[in-house]
Amino acid sequence: MPDIRLEHLRKDYGAVTVIEDLNLEMADGEFTVLVGPSGCGKSTTLRMIAGLESVTGGQIMIGDRDVSQLEPKARDLAMVFQDYALYPHMNVAKNMSFALRLARMNKADIDKRVKEVAETLDLKAYLDRKPAELSGGQRQRVAMGRALVRDAGTFLFDEPLSNLDAKLRGQMRAELALMHQRVGKNMIYVTHDQIEAMTLGDKIVVMKFGKIMQAGSPEELYRNPANKFVAGFIGSPTMNFLDAELSEDAGTLHAKGEGFAIPLSAQKAAGLQSHKDRKVTLGIRPSSFAEDSAGIEMPVILSEYIGAQSVLISEMGGQRVAIEVNSVAPVRTGETRNFTVQGDEVHLFDPQSEAAL
Amino acid sequence: MSQPSKVYDRQNPAYYALLVALVLMAIGPIYLMLATSLKLNVDIMSDSGGLLFMPTLRNYETALCDFLWYKPEHLRRCDPTFGRALTNSLIIGLISTAITLIIGTMAAYALVRFRFFGRDVVSIWTLMMRMVPPAVLLVPVFGIWTFQFGLDGTRGGIILVYVALNLPFVIWILQSFIVQVPIQLEEAARMDGAGPFGVFFLVVLPLIKPGIAAASIFTFRVAWNEFLLANALSDRNSRTVPVTIVNSLTEFDIDWGVIMATGMLLAIPPIIFTFVASRQIITGMTAGAVKG
Repeated sequence: MPDIRLEHLRKDYGAVTVIEDLNLEMADGEFTVLVGPSGCGKSTTLRMIAGLESVTGGQIMIGDRDVSQLEPKARDLAMVFQDYALYPHMNVAKNMSFALRLARMNKADIDKRVKEVAETLDLKAYLDRKPAELSGGQRQRVAMGRALVRDAGTFLFDEPLSNLDAKLRGQMRAELALMHQRVGKNMIYVTHDQIEAMTLGDKIVVMKFGKIMQAGSPEELYRNPANKFVAGFIGSPTMNFLDAELSEDAGTLHAKGEGFAIPLSAQKAAGLQSHKDRKVTLGIRPSSFAEDSAGIEMPVILSEYIGAQSVLISEMGGQRVAIEVNSVAPVRTGETRNFTVQGDEVHLFDPQSEAAL
Repeated sequence: MSQPSKVYDRQNPAYYALLVALVLMAIGPIYLMLATSLKLNVDIMSDSGGLLFMPTLRNYETALCDFLWYKPEHLRRCDPTFGRALTNSLIIGLISTAITLIIGTMAAYALVRFRFFGRDVVSIWTLMMRMVPPAVLLVPVFGIWTFQFGLDGTRGGIILVYVALNLPFVIWILQSFIVQVPIQLEEAARMDGAGPFGVFFLVVLPLIKPGIAAASIFTFRVAWNEFLLANALSDRNSRTVPVTIVNSLTEFDIDWGVIMATGMLLAIPPIIFTFVASRQIITGMTAGAVKG
């Protein structure tokens, strides 16, 4: 299982440049998730790695091999497609063994491998069925099984769960994570769902407009987003962004806005002296608010009960914010509550470049 | 679910009259042919109506005398013309259909999936070619086949011209079937290690079976019925059934019974062929392949 490197990868469709200069390294056995909004180039990147899309410039290195001009079959990859892409004229067993039969493996070995994989995926009872006779979740498992029997060095997933209903998606997500633990292969996974990215990835690569906004572990991205886009993309409910100004008050830096002034921790303030008296974008996660009678007075415009947590929609400095609170004491719409924000839990961004400060 | 109603609306009798007339027009000639083929020449020529006669298989025996395991009593000499023509028609029809389908499916696939210079032009002009009436082709084809290729009077020559004649339509109809095969299936096959031919034969071909069946019915029917070009290109030994029937209408002798028997026999192979092929025409071939 070699590591995979993308070096100065570029993709043009005619005059349109989809991906300009993509550099990424994926370590051996790592579960890498490419995540981003529609049209950010994540699927194109995956398809270039797969060999289904030609590379306009740059290199794809798998181990020491430059595979960027090779046929898909020469790259030692297996792929699971968004729409399953099962061969409708073959039954489940034939679907799963297709690659092995093409590789002219002997029949006894094929049967053994298919049986093993079918067992782990709970598909043994369906081996004789055609795809049309299976449910969505079963089809998805067959698609996964087809990749698994291959024993390829790297597995590619192109939004494999997006066609499943919410409950099944959660189930399959867990199965995928277990599968990665079990086989320990390189996995590259494309999704637009940040929860999938957070729960599955060893490394998350957030993309936008064909560029990597940030790559790192889920914690890294959540705690230290490199820019406003990543901060807004990772985490649910989404981070609140407020216009504020940095000003010094009694020796500590404050992020000040209409009706609020949040003192920054010494650690945060350390690098920000040069930004004193400048405008900033203040980012506060909904979970960073804490109820405190000495805090800022905030009206509850809407209270969304989710279960253990409730999300309150409120207003702060004339701007709408979401606050996540424990549901122990129910909060009613129309009430007024007081909240404080810890100075080390806020994020500051440059309003122009949107980069983290 | 309600039970299907057994009560029908009363319809205007004129509709039924029209329906009966249409049915008669459709079935009448076939009935006449069948009846005549079962009559002796004496009965055919007699004026005393045509409804009462002793049915006989003599005409069929005459037409098929070559293939019979016994020698029919009424024949002094077995004329192999009709038997030979049936064999020719079958060979030419089946082989030209097979060749057309092999080339046609591949060409259609290339036109749909591969990007190459001149693709759109080729795609349109293949169909345009089909619009040229065979009568226009008659003289040039005859000239080229005879004087340049030396293919006149051979089955191969006729097969070749039928392939050329049918190919455009087959390519055109199969294109629409191939477009419907989800591209993800082909990509999945490529990821599974299939080359272009593997993708085509193992994934695409099985999924366009209904299209191939429809195209084969059409192709076989055209090859089976074609008269004009076959008449120009065949000789005594390579004549097809339509040409033979027309040639047996001479000013000296017209053996109506045998001609009608041949006509009945001529109708059977396309019916069998269509019956077999049409069983392949089932909808929903790609059900379950991808999320709809």
